[in-house]
Amino acid sequence: MSSFKRDKKEEEDGGGNPFQNIEKTTVLQEARTFNETTVNPRKCTPILTKLLYLLNQGETLSVKEATDVFFAMTKLFQSRDVILRRMVYLGIKELSSIADDVIIVTSSLTKDMTGKEDLYRAAAIRALCSITDATMLQAIERYMKQAIVDRNPAVSSAALVSSLHLTKLAPDVVKRWVNEAQEAVNSDNIMVQYHALGLLYHIRKTDRLAVTKLVAKLTRMSLKSPYAVCMLIRITAKLLEEEDSGNDSPYFDFIESCLRHKSEMVVYEAAQAIVNLKRTTSRELAPAISVLQLFCGSPKPTLRFAAVRTLNQVAISHPAAVTACNLDLENLITDSNRSIATLAITTLLMKQIATFVSEISDEFKVVVVQAIRALALKFPRKHSVLMNFLSAMLRDEGGLEYKASIADTIITIIEDNPEAKETGLAHLCEFIEDCEHVSLAVRILHLLGKEGPKTKQPSRYIRFIYNRVILECPSIRAAAVYAMAQFGAACPDLLENIQVLLARCQMDSDDEVRDRATFYSNILNTQDKSLYNNYILDSLQVSIPSLERSLKEYIQGETNEPFDIKIVPLVPIPSPEEREVKHKSEGMLISQGPIRPVPVSREENFTEKLSLIPGIQELGPLFRSSEVVELTETETEYFVRCIKHCYTNHVVLQFDCLNTLSDQLLENVRVQLDPSEGYTITDEIPCPKLPFNETGTTYVILKFPENDLPNSIGTFGAVLKFIVKDCDPTTGLPDTDEGYDDEYILEDLEITLGDQIQRISKVNWGAAWEEAASSYIEMEDTYSLSSMNTLDEAVKNIIQFLGLQPAEQN
Amino acid sequence: MGLFQKLAHFLGVKKREVNVLVVGLNNSGKSTVVNKFKNEEERVAEIVPTVGFSVERFQNQNLAFTAFDMSGHGRYRDLWEHYYKDCNGIIFVIDSSDRLRLVVVKEELDLLLQHPDICNKKIPILFFANKMDSKEALSSVKIAAALGLDKIMDKPWHISASNALTGANIKNIQGIGMRRPRAGINPRTFQFCFGSSYS
Ligand SMILES: Nc1nc2c(ncn2[C@@H]2O[C@H](COP(=O)(O)OP(=O)(O)O)[C@@H](O)[C@H]2O)c(=O)[nH]1
Ligand SMILES: [Mg+2]
Repeated sequence: MSSFKRDKKEEEDGGGNPFQNIEKTTVLQEARTFNETTVNPRKCTPILTKLLYLLNQGETLSVKEATDVFFAMTKLFQSRDVILRRMVYLGIKELSSIADDVIIVTSSLTKDMTGKEDLYRAAAIRALCSITDATMLQAIERYMKQAIVDRNPAVSSAALVSSLHLTKLAPDVVKRWVNEAQEAVNSDNIMVQYHALGLLYHIRKTDRLAVTKLVAKLTRMSLKSPYAVCMLIRITAKLLEEEDSGNDSPYFDFIESCLRHKSEMVVYEAAQAIVNLKRTTSRELAPAISVLQLFCGSPKPTLRFAAVRTLNQVAISHPAAVTACNLDLENLITDSNRSIATLAITTLLMKQIATFVSEISDEFKVVVVQAIRALALKFPRKHSVLMNFLSAMLRDEGGLEYKASIADTIITIIEDNPEAKETGLAHLCEFIEDCEHVSLAVRILHLLGKEGPKTKQPSRYIRFIYNRVILECPSIRAAAVYAMAQFGAACPDLLENIQVLLARCQMDSDDEVRDRATFYSNILNTQDKSLYNNYILDSLQVSIPSLERSLKEYIQGETNEPFDIKIVPLVPIPSPEEREVKHKSEGMLISQGPIRPVPVSREENFTEKLSLIPGIQELGPLFRSSEVVELTETETEYFVRCIKHCYTNHVVLQFDCLNTLSDQLLENVRVQLDPSEGYTITDEIPCPKLPFNETGTTYVILKFPENDLPNSIGTFGAVLKFIVKDCDPTTGLPDTDEGYDDEYILEDLEITLGDQIQRISKVNWGAAWEEAASSYIEMEDTYSLSSMNTLDEAVKNIIQFLGLQPAEQN
Repeated sequence: MGLFQKLAHFLGVKKREVNVLVVGLNNSGKSTVVNKFKNEEERVAEIVPTVGFSVERFQNQNLAFTAFDMSGHGRYRDLWEHYYKDCNGIIFVIDSSDRLRLVVVKEELDLLLQHPDICNKKIPILFFANKMDSKEALSSVKIAAALGLDKIMDKPWHISASNALTGANIKNIQGIGMRRPRAGINPRTFQFCFGSSYS
């Protein structure tokens, strides 16, 4: 942070950022003037500005600091200075997630949002939505509905966009505003219409029929806002993809008609949509291509850029279709080189980029690299051309991110295409000879250790790896030691040589390098295959953040007993669906935001939550938590969902219950189970109170049938039991103290084998299986697979049923 | 305009500004009372329950009042204290027909009086025994006794029965205003002055 500030200073050579030297403590001190009886806007506005500046620079406030300054800020509501008030709104938004009791400004904001001062209204709505919680939303619902249909477009837009954000908080409440959103779609204002459509679609999107109706209606009414039309095109294209009927549908006609729209934005969106449809025929593609071709000659650079980018995509999916544009493309790249096939065009493009690659920014180079990756996956046989190109780029100047993206691409290609493996590894070996990025070198060494032993001639990699030991910094040397150990474990022929090299490493000046060399050398000395597998070939299966946490706890406690790594939750391996989901973007109106850091496993999350419950600690480590199972329909009086947590001998059932009746307060909520044979209920933890619109949790702990895995599969009847107190819907207070017992039948709950099996990826499945024979019990069971037609389908079903992980990508 | 105000105005003497805090249990009529302090044109037609607080302004005599009308719901009462430090006076509204919650009122009042930001300050407190029109309403004398107001020695206070719906006994309280500060009293602190003692 401080070095960043210095850099800035040098850059601006003294011109000066007036906020350069401000400090948090000073600003917080200054903010106390907000409390003075008479507010002086000229003094307070700059202080607020500084505060906002600090927060936006990433400065963090403690809850107490934030709360204090927040409450001081609330006193500024007594000033009628417009600028100050708008700063206050911004301050509220920034602090709303840190400070306590932020709902204190609800009335002040509702007053501003409904008041006469137009300059306040839109901003007040946005601030209000940032402080509201699900319980308060009821109180402001009326104002939100009015604001959505307000005549002032800024107010209406603010209300619509805020509503969209509120759907994350309380989807069911926002759903009730659908009529207002509908009305706003008819607005004359282009932004309002766009935002209204965004909200409307978001509310309806899970209901296919409703979306179909919406699209049918809107495509006929000719929306005024080009933004809204673009959005409608996206929605329609999505419907078209989901529908099986081919492109001969009114949806396609609509999209095609948009190619003749008077707004260029809409025309482009329509072309882009057609190009990206999975089943477009070349006849359907033609009109889209010709508008893109037209755009290539547009005087507007944005249009040219958009057109070229889209044509580039088409070049990969429909090579022939772009041939018509060759000339235009070539004009754009001002080069006389001719080419016919699409791959040639794109490669050509890249070749040309290579000539000026040193002049473009890293950010754009990364785009080029991604294009090459896509090409390589599409045209595996061209790997050598592309590989050469990549290795040339690898030798160029460039930052870490750029280099990492090249290395990633090479790795992806290697994984995807066995034929490319040897060349790819060779390029990477060459690269680490002269690589200034430590983290990248470490990654590549790791990859060499994993993949090198499986190639035809493993010995050729050893020299590259050992060179690192001689020439590099300690962390790279340590990685190189590990890579060599992997060769030693996997290739018996090389073992002797490796031992010699490892012995030399034991003289290293760095502790970590010496330790590793000694460790691996000893293991390799044992000649014990199982030790090889567990300590060299298989990587760590546990989740690293969990391991850190467990070790910390262990050190704090009594350390008489050795640390047991079995209590650490395993890293979740993403299922194929999850992997796919990652690639697809939600799209539409909500942007995705930056990528979050590596998530902790579900088990890890639950472990923390569950450990708060008395009695659960004794059950041992949490082994696996199931997916969420719904035990009621979504729109019922009580909405109940269950998560099954498996422990060594117990299963903990977590029931999350939502009370959707505003005139009932539930107490002593619990689930009565009728477990199948062999199970015993050891404990029940009821939920003491469940007010309207809140989710409460009750638990049931059961013991699995003793030594009887097959019989642990079962179906339990389940009934929700509780005491009802009728209450006043507005206050939520019960009418009387007397309640009555009531119950609600839930759907049956199933415990499957899959709940009890955790996915683990083993590098060497065969060996691990052999080895397991001695320490685990092998179980055999026959499943009827008659309903499945293909092997693929059968495998998929088994995976789903048993919750297994396919071994070594078999 | 009285002669004094005219003179002050002429001399460019700034209007005195005071901040008052309006507290009391929910539904006691605080927002309705504050609304009645305003000029006819500035009043709102419909009073909705306050969530958090609301800042209102009005003029009375030569003073510009800024009132922090607080929410009286249980969830918000703990938050009153954030506004104690810099207020110049307190208006405490009691629903005199809500006999059941009179003990709660006393509890909240005691907490307020003991608060470090209040207990050593000679700030004036004006009590409204509101909803005097209601059949069950207790008289202001009874309310004063129930709350033990006579034990407040170090702060000027006054209690008045009121009807916030009609405005009876609200704006016509004589001299919610400024009294010449006596020696030893913080001149920024204004006092509620009553009857003939007003000068
Ligand atoms: N009968 C009667 N009702 C009143 C009086 N003052 C307020 N109310 C009513 O009491 C309710 C609560 O008033 P409100 O000002 O919102 O109370 P607050 O929560 O203390 O702000 C409203 O329905 C008012 O109309 C009064 O003097 N007499
Ligand atoms: Mg109120």
